[in-house]
Amino acid sequence: MSLGSKKRQVDFQVIARWVRPGERVLDLGCGRGVLLEYLQRVKSVYAVGVDIELDKILSCIKRGVSAYHGDVKPILSRFEENSFDRVIFSRSVELLEDPDNILAEGLRVGKQVTVGFVNHGFWKNRWDYFTRGRQALNEVYPKSWYEMHPANPFSVAEFEAFCRIREIKVNDRVYLCGNWRDECRYLPNLLTGYAIYDLSK
Amino acid sequence: MNDSEQATLIPEGGEVGIVGCRDFVSGKPFHFESGGRIPELTLRYETYGQLNPVKGNAVLICHALTGNHHVAGVHSVDERKQGWWNFMVGPGKPIDTNKYYIICSNVLGGCSGSTGPESINPATGKRYNLDFPRLTVGDMVHAQAMLLDFLGIDKLHSVIGGSMGGMQTLQWATAYPDRVGSYIALACCARHNAQAIAFNDTGRQAIISDPDWMNGNYPDGRQPVQGLSVARMMAHITYLSDAGMEAKFGRKRGNRAAEEHFDVEFEVESYLRYQGQAFVSRFDANTYLYLTKALDRFDLHGPNGTLDETLQAVTASGLVVGFTSDWLYPPQGNREVVEALLRLGKDASYVELEMNAGHDSFLLCSSKLNALIRNFLARKQSL
Repeated sequence: MSLGSKKRQVDFQVIARWVRPGERVLDLGCGRGVLLEYLQRVKSVYAVGVDIELDKILSCIKRGVSAYHGDVKPILSRFEENSFDRVIFSRSVELLEDPDNILAEGLRVGKQVTVGFVNHGFWKNRWDYFTRGRQALNEVYPKSWYEMHPANPFSVAEFEAFCRIREIKVNDRVYLCGNWRDECRYLPNLLTGYAIYDLSK
Repeated sequence: MNDSEQATLIPEGGEVGIVGCRDFVSGKPFHFESGGRIPELTLRYETYGQLNPVKGNAVLICHALTGNHHVAGVHSVDERKQGWWNFMVGPGKPIDTNKYYIICSNVLGGCSGSTGPESINPATGKRYNLDFPRLTVGDMVHAQAMLLDFLGIDKLHSVIGGSMGGMQTLQWATAYPDRVGSYIALACCARHNAQAIAFNDTGRQAIISDPDWMNGNYPDGRQPVQGLSVARMMAHITYLSDAGMEAKFGRKRGNRAAEEHFDVEFEVESYLRYQGQAFVSRFDANTYLYLTKALDRFDLHGPNGTLDETLQAVTASGLVVGFTSDWLYPPQGNREVVEALLRLGKDASYVELEMNAGHDSFLLCSSKLNALIRNFLARKQSL
């Protein structure tokens, strides 16, 4: 099993823990629809994925996942308050141009919001930068800057501060270590590779 | 929305080969939504592939304004021009005749063999012309449902159509939810915007103001050729795009120098005039008036002015496809349909294809469009 699919499985299981059967779920930046297909299978959710890339949308359609091809921001504005039980941002917040407003929109449209992100404060990221003066290249950022790096990475500490400032309620948080498997118990801003938050207004 | 020439075919499968059409004749009166009626009804249709024993693999294709029932294949070995969606329908093609039984009928009100203004009214022995009842997209779909009854098909595996065919598809999904398994609507909208109505009316005025129209009572073989061809030329522009026309024609001039000041000079002029002339030999002017009016009046919005009230009836899974360069039925109008469906918790997808052929993009063979239709029809069915 590739590291990619192992990574995927763990955060799927965490997210699935928070989803109740039959819920309405909106996945923003849904990629190929693998998470939603999983949630459809194990939780019988009503799932809608949004992505900007045609290839990804074609995969969603093939998987039998309803998909909307377009930007995240305009489609959110089409939905009423609490239209969805859960809005998911899985590794997509760090790609948004306007995360503050889009997260606020996500919290308006969804009763609960899930945010999963790579912790930019992870010690190996710091190490790569301080010792080598280079962008991180390790298990949490496996690709070099010219292949693919999120435009706007942030750390666990920064996200915690954001939730405080915006008065967003954190219902639950799961910190995974750099191996993307074990839960991380101490010093999350330093030791967490991947963080998953369950939020509400 | 028309029979514009097909792009170089990407061989993706076999051909349906030589096909023939059939007529479904209903001897009972047909009642229109407007209250009018006709004593009997004929729908001309073609089918491709085999209906399976449980009659569960039928796919209905709905054609566009000036299209017809001839979707794929040829009518004889000498015929060079294939049906209007030949690249899409055939063995191994995205709408696979090895899997599906595909049906397409010329719409009610059409002029390719189905009953329309050009048909003979049995009560008078003369053409209906303007005595033909006011027609709606709902009437077209109702007539198709009668054809399905005749074929013994209770439920369609899928309904697929572009442009006016897309509107029929949406009408199917809302008016006959129990009979539709899934649907694909391309380059369509829930209702015409002001611009689309404006273009249609300009076309109608070109026909009506032609003295040969004679209040709709032109004799056989003498239709308002000038008016109809100008209507077609103008409409044809709306099916293309700025970028597409620029790539195809630019300011290229014909070979011969124009003798008169207003003779054909640029290639685009020559092309459009040819399109206009070719059109009048195969299309009836009154039919054009009736069909464009039916489109202008089509509106899926309910009494309170929202799409949500009407689309609530939909039960099938759907796919709506917009094309970036379509300025007749722009992506926004396609998107709105899916946005309403998703608000209602329906299973619906929206895809926007970047193609530069304008509204007619859905009639052009492209690997993206083929993959999309193929993926949707072959998708995993959710629980």
